[in-house]
Amino acid sequence: MDQILFALLNGTIYGLLLFMVSAGLTLIFGMMGVLNFAHASFYMLGAYFAYTLQPLTGFWLAIILAPVLVMGVGILVERFILRHVHEHGHAHELLVTFGLSVVIAEMIKMVYGKFAVDYRVPAELNFAAFTLSGIDYPFYRLFMGGIAVVMFIAIYLLLTKTRVGIVVRSAIYRPQMVEALGHNVPMVFMGVFGIGAALAGLAGAVAGAFYTTNPNMALELGVMVFVVVVVGGLGSMGGAMAASLLIGITNSLAVGSDFRIADLLTWIGMGGWAEEIGGMLTMRMSSLAATLPFFIMLLVLVLRPSGLMGEKE
Amino acid sequence: MGFQKFARGTVAMALVMGAAAAAQAEPLKIALVETLSGPQASTGLLYRDAVKYQIGKINEAGGFGGEPVELLEFDNQGGPVGAADRVRAAISEGADVILQGSSSAVAGQVTEDVRKHNLRNAGDEVLYINLGGEAMELTGSKCHYYHFRTSPNAAIRVNTLLDGMNEAGVLGDNVYAMNQNYSWGVDVQDNTVAASDRLGFTVVEQTLHDVNKIQDFSPYVQRVQAAGADTVITGNWSNDLLLLMKAASGAGLDVRFGTAFLDQPGNIGNAGSVAEGHFLSAPFNPEVNPEETAAFMEDYKSVTGHYPSYVEPTTVFGMMLLQAALEEVEPTEDGLNAADLAVALENATAETPMGTIAMRGADHQAILPMIVQEVSKDAQYKADDTELGFVPIKVISAADAEQPVQDSCEMKRPG
Repeated sequence: MDQILFALLNGTIYGLLLFMVSAGLTLIFGMMGVLNFAHASFYMLGAYFAYTLQPLTGFWLAIILAPVLVMGVGILVERFILRHVHEHGHAHELLVTFGLSVVIAEMIKMVYGKFAVDYRVPAELNFAAFTLSGIDYPFYRLFMGGIAVVMFIAIYLLLTKTRVGIVVRSAIYRPQMVEALGHNVPMVFMGVFGIGAALAGLAGAVAGAFYTTNPNMALELGVMVFVVVVVGGLGSMGGAMAASLLIGITNSLAVGSDFRIADLLTWIGMGGWAEEIGGMLTMRMSSLAATLPFFIMLLVLVLRPSGLMGEKE
Repeated sequence: MGFQKFARGTVAMALVMGAAAAAQAEPLKIALVETLSGPQASTGLLYRDAVKYQIGKINEAGGFGGEPVELLEFDNQGGPVGAADRVRAAISEGADVILQGSSSAVAGQVTEDVRKHNLRNAGDEVLYINLGGEAMELTGSKCHYYHFRTSPNAAIRVNTLLDGMNEAGVLGDNVYAMNQNYSWGVDVQDNTVAASDRLGFTVVEQTLHDVNKIQDFSPYVQRVQAAGADTVITGNWSNDLLLLMKAASGAGLDVRFGTAFLDQPGNIGNAGSVAEGHFLSAPFNPEVNPEETAAFMEDYKSVTGHYPSYVEPTTVFGMMLLQAALEEVEPTEDGLNAADLAVALENATAETPMGTIAMRGADHQAILPMIVQEVSKDAQYKADDTELGFVPIKVISAADAEQPVQDSCEMKRPG
C-alpha cells in the first residue's frame, strides 16, 4: 500500500514539474500558433541564471530573479527575431526557434563548460517532509509541486477572470478584431511570449537544483514536454495539466511493476509459448517505463488527434 | 615573359618537391572518430585531449619512420550511423589506425566496419583501437584480429569493484544491480550476478532502465528500498548515475553505490556530499605511485590545461601501448603495414604511472591494474573544486584484475 502511495506521489510531483515547463509552451502555441522549439532552452537558462545568482543574492532571490531575466530574454527573442520571421509563415518560425535552441545550448557550454555545475538544493530546504515505511520524502519535492499548483491556479485565474485574460484569449482567435478595438496585439504577443518563457525559467530555477543543471537538460526535458503538449492538446492549459499528471503517474507506476505480456498470456494457457518467443512478450514493464509516454502519445494521435482537451487540429 | 618564366620555375619546383616527398615514407595517419559535437561531446572531447597529448609525445620521440604522426579528427555525432560514415571517410583519407572510445554502441559499429573493410581489402588493412567501449561482446562474439581494446571491460570493472568493496568490508549481503538497458549495462548486471556465489552475497533484484531518458529516479529508489539492498552496483554514467544517487540520498536511503564512472567531471561537483563514501573501480588514481603519477599529472596539465581524469589517463596509457608497438614496426614504402602493427601490438607492453600494462594476444584485451577507490574528503587531488576526491582503497595488480578470455571469441588470424 505504501508502495503505491509513494508511486502516486512521485508521479504526481514529476507530472507537476512537466506541467511547469509545458504550461508556457502550450500558452505560446495557443496564442501565437508558434511551436517554440527553444522553449526547453528557457528552462535551461532559468537553471543557469539561478545558479549564477545564488552566490550573490541567496537562493530565494535567485529563483525569483532568474525567471525575470529569462522573461527578458524571451521578450527580446520575440521582439527582434520571431516578429520578423512571422510573416514568412510557421515553417520559418519553427526553424528559427530550433536554431535558437542550438545557439543557446552552445553558448551555455562556452560560458559554463560542458559538464554539470554544482547547483544544489540549499541546506535549509534539504530535509525530509515525512517518512513512510523507511523512505524519507524530500520536502523539496513537495515544494516543487506546490509551486506548480500555485502557478496553475494563477494562470487559470489570470486568463479567465481578468481583463488582460479576456484580451489575450480573444487575441488568440480574432487578432484583427482585437486590434480594431484598439488593443496593441503585437504587445500582447510579446507579453505572452515573455511570460511563457518566464514560467519555463521558473521551472528550471526550481528543478535545476533538485535534478541536475547541465548543458543537456533542455534536450532531456524538451522531448517529454512536447509529448505533454501533444497529448494534452496544443494550446490547452487544462489539457497540459491532465497530460502531465497522466504521464508522470503512469511512468512512476510502470517502474514499480514487473508485469510482462507473457504473464497475461498465461491466463489463457499460452504462457509457455510466450516464454519461448521472448522479445517484447517477456520484457518487464519496468524496463519500458520511459517509453510509455511515447506510446501514450501514439494512442492519442491515432484516436484523438487534437489531444485530450485540444480544440485545434 | 617574366610571368611565364616564374610559372615554369614554380612548376619545376613543385615537381621536384613532389618527387622528394614520394621518396620518403608517407606519414602515418591516425584517425580519431569521436563524438565531438552534440550532447554527448563532453566525453569525446576528453578522448581528443588525451589522444593529442600522447601523439605529441610520440612525435617528440621522433614520430614514425622519421615523420611526425598525423592526427585526423572525425566527428561521429554520437551515433553508430555517423560513425559508419566517418570511418569510411577516415579510411579514404588514408588513415591506418582508427581510434574511438565513447559508447559501446558506437564501438560495436566501428569494429564491424573495420572487420568488413579488412576482409574486402586484404593487404590494405586498418586497425581499430577501442579506447573505451567496455561491452563484453567487443572482445567476445564480435572480436576480430584488427580490434584492440585498451580500456578495461565490464568483467574487469565489476569483479575488481566487488573484490575491493568486499575486502574493505562495505559490500554487504544484499546487492541491487541497477543498469542501463544496452550491451554495457546488461554486461555489468550479468557480471554482478555471476560474482555472487564467489563472494557470497545475494543479488536481491536486477533492474534495467532506459538510457539517459529518465529525469525522476525516485520510483527506482523506492524499489531499491523495498528490496532491502545494502549496496547498489551500477554501470550507469552521466545523468543516469547522478540522478540515481541524488534520488537515493533525497529518500534518506542508506545504501552504498559501487560504480564504474563516478569520476566523470562534474559528477562530484554536482552531487556534493551525496557522493561521499561511494566506490569506483578505475584504471587510474592520482595518489597511486605518487612520484611518477604527480609528474604525469603536472605534465598533462601543462599541455592540455587540466589534470587528467575519467577516460583521459586510460586513453593516454592505451596510446602508450600503440607507441610501444610502433617502435617495433619498420616503415615500408607506403608508410605503415597495418598487419605488421597488429603483430607488434599483440605483444606490446607499456610502463605507465600505474604499473605495467599489456595487450593479451588471445582476444586483444588490455590487461591493466585497477584501483578501487572511495569518494572522501581525505583525497589529495580534489574533484571539481569540491572538498571531495578519490582515495585509493586497494590497488589490484594487472594479473589479479585479469579475467578469462571469453569462449565466444573466435579470432581468425591471418595466414
